[in-house]
Amino acid sequence: MNKVLSRVLWAAIAIVAAFCLAGIALNRGEPVNSMWLVVASSCTYLIGYRFYASWIAAKVMMLDEQRATPAERLRNGHDFEPTNKWIVFGHHFAAIAGPGPLVGPTLAAQFGYLPGTLWIIIGAVLGGAIQDFIILFCSIRRDGKSLGQMAKEEIGKVGGFTALITVLLIMIILLAVVALVVVNALKGSPWGTFTIAATMPIAVFMGLYLRYWRPGKVLEASLIGFLLVLASIFGGEWVAHSATYAPWFTLTGLTLAICIIAYGFLASALPVWLLLAPRDYLSTFVKLGVVLMLGIGILFLQPTLQMPPLTRFIDGTGPIFAGSIFPFCFITIACGAISGFHSLISSGTTPKMISKETHVFPVGYGSMLLESFVAIMAMIAACVLDPGVYFAVNSPAGIIGATPQAAVATITGWGFPVAADQMAALAKSVGEETLFYRTGGAPSLALGMAHIFAKGVGGDAILGFWYHFAIMFEALFILTVIDAGTRVGRFMLQDLLGQIYEPLGRTSWMPSLLFSSVVIVLSWGYFLVQGVLDPLGGINTLWPLFGIANQLLAIIALCLGTTILVKMHRARYMWITIMPLVWLVTVTFTAALQKIFSEMPRIGFLAQARVFESNIAAGKVAAAKLGEVNTLIFNNKLDAVVCGVFLVLVATILIDSIFLWIGILRGTKPVQNFETPFVQTRLSAEEI
Amino acid sequence: MRYLRKFGRIVLGILKEIGDESAYNRHLVTHNRKHSGEEWRRFSEHRMKEKYANAKCC
Repeated sequence: MNKVLSRVLWAAIAIVAAFCLAGIALNRGEPVNSMWLVVASSCTYLIGYRFYASWIAAKVMMLDEQRATPAERLRNGHDFEPTNKWIVFGHHFAAIAGPGPLVGPTLAAQFGYLPGTLWIIIGAVLGGAIQDFIILFCSIRRDGKSLGQMAKEEIGKVGGFTALITVLLIMIILLAVVALVVVNALKGSPWGTFTIAATMPIAVFMGLYLRYWRPGKVLEASLIGFLLVLASIFGGEWVAHSATYAPWFTLTGLTLAICIIAYGFLASALPVWLLLAPRDYLSTFVKLGVVLMLGIGILFLQPTLQMPPLTRFIDGTGPIFAGSIFPFCFITIACGAISGFHSLISSGTTPKMISKETHVFPVGYGSMLLESFVAIMAMIAACVLDPGVYFAVNSPAGIIGATPQAAVATITGWGFPVAADQMAALAKSVGEETLFYRTGGAPSLALGMAHIFAKGVGGDAILGFWYHFAIMFEALFILTVIDAGTRVGRFMLQDLLGQIYEPLGRTSWMPSLLFSSVVIVLSWGYFLVQGVLDPLGGINTLWPLFGIANQLLAIIALCLGTTILVKMHRARYMWITIMPLVWLVTVTFTAALQKIFSEMPRIGFLAQARVFESNIAAGKVAAAKLGEVNTLIFNNKLDAVVCGVFLVLVATILIDSIFLWIGILRGTKPVQNFETPFVQTRLSAEEI
Repeated sequence: MRYLRKFGRIVLGILKEIGDESAYNRHLVTHNRKHSGEEWRRFSEHRMKEKYANAKCC
């Protein structure tokens, strides 16, 4: 009877999933309630989890409860420690959920809610969650080894080295693009700038509190830190209205960029306990809390989406970033659907905490589904805004016009009515001078979140508080990504330099520390300043570059996953990873080639460089602007080179892998198994 | 009520794991040491060195 009931229940979930997906896909002309997206995604995730992932766990991975995990075998009381399944789940989710699943869907909403939503749901179930799941499984069967180590062993030395270089380059682009999101959110905003600036002394206070006053009381220190951050939001409002202090915190994009670059250097060079670690604790707790609040807000308020399912910009003429749905929707949304960066987490701390092999299933696959759901919530938050407002906030002046009147005329002309008065009133209600040209996704996401939160608590009277609370939340964890990323980039560079001159590899040797910190900070800082000075807003250039880089890392992870599946089962199950791999190779290589060679100047780096060159040749550039335009030409050519380097690196590892698979399948190459031998678990039920 | 308490324990467990408090308690048990400011500093330096050698996700 239970079996029959279970079948009826799962059939009902499948029907509801199909009905809701059809509902959002086929609906035209009338507003859609956000619950359609919530139900469609939830039911699809459940089906994917219950049938596809559990089948992989049982038949392909053959997860074995009796097999001791690295956490048990290598237990050391530090990083290798068997941990409760749900605690590892929460820990892993907190580690993979960064700004990507929030910003990506917000930007991709320019195509309408439909393309991004479908990609988030399908991409996660068949691609992203599979990647995380398989890499976690591979790592757990190999003593918790990292992606680079596994690539080196399983694919070859070229694979390992390529993975290391690719990760370093991706980090540089990632740090630049997320820093640009913060700069665009804070420029000309004394309220936001003060709030974010205040988080730095708050983090230092927390660091001192934890080290000297109340050692080990992290939750207590984080609670105090959170209350101080809340107070700083109110302080920010006071500063914004102060004739004396407001100008101190009203900064241009370039000044903010320089401040963030200096911050990145300090965070990389200062002791970790003083700034980085307390900020990381605080931002992780705030991130989890706000995501939960957003989920509850959407479930209870069930807002209606104002954005149409498809906009006119599916043709590639979008103001936020140029390029058609294929391939650009699929690289703009990475982290909510499939993100190569997750493979670093799945082969980092998490495999060292898993107490039973079967826990790989909920932790690896389940966490990614939850992250995908966060991306759906971000899509909802962006799409509950009036589309006219959404485009006014996210479009650069270079596209829509440099004055509010010109901007609203352009956007209204696209069929998304918006008025200058409406924008002025909205800016006033959130305590900002203006909301035009706030490219990067963070401000429009904050607006959407503020509308949802304000409907739940406080109403429009405290819309400004909620807006700056959301900005604080986004900037707080983006800055944590920047400081931790700069530090990791420094270690990676030192690792590489150490192979040339041994002392440079010592992480604590001061000259090496300072030199490598400066190199990393200046590397991402260069791209950040490039984005700030870009007349098209920077996001148009940097976000696709980051998306391509991130998806190329996913290609490396899927190559590794396929190699291990081929070694385990020959060709029988390789389609599981080949399917998302083929899709990603098609998408990323198409996007990268278009970004380099497209004849459309807004898409192709080289085409844009040629436009600037012809403007100079035709005498259209004033002498005073010549240096600036020459820099833009150089930047476009540099971006084309970076994109090309990414392609060459990943093509190398792809070709290397394909030759290996063919060799194994033909029997011309030996199958080298690097899996650790079976050891019977001795963990008691209480320890699990 | 029992489930609610269990849920609360899991949430607190997640927060303590993220905040390294659980790892610190394990460190004290494994090395048979007592909590002190010096011990926390020794633990956290080692812990953070490992933690921030890994990239944070985007």
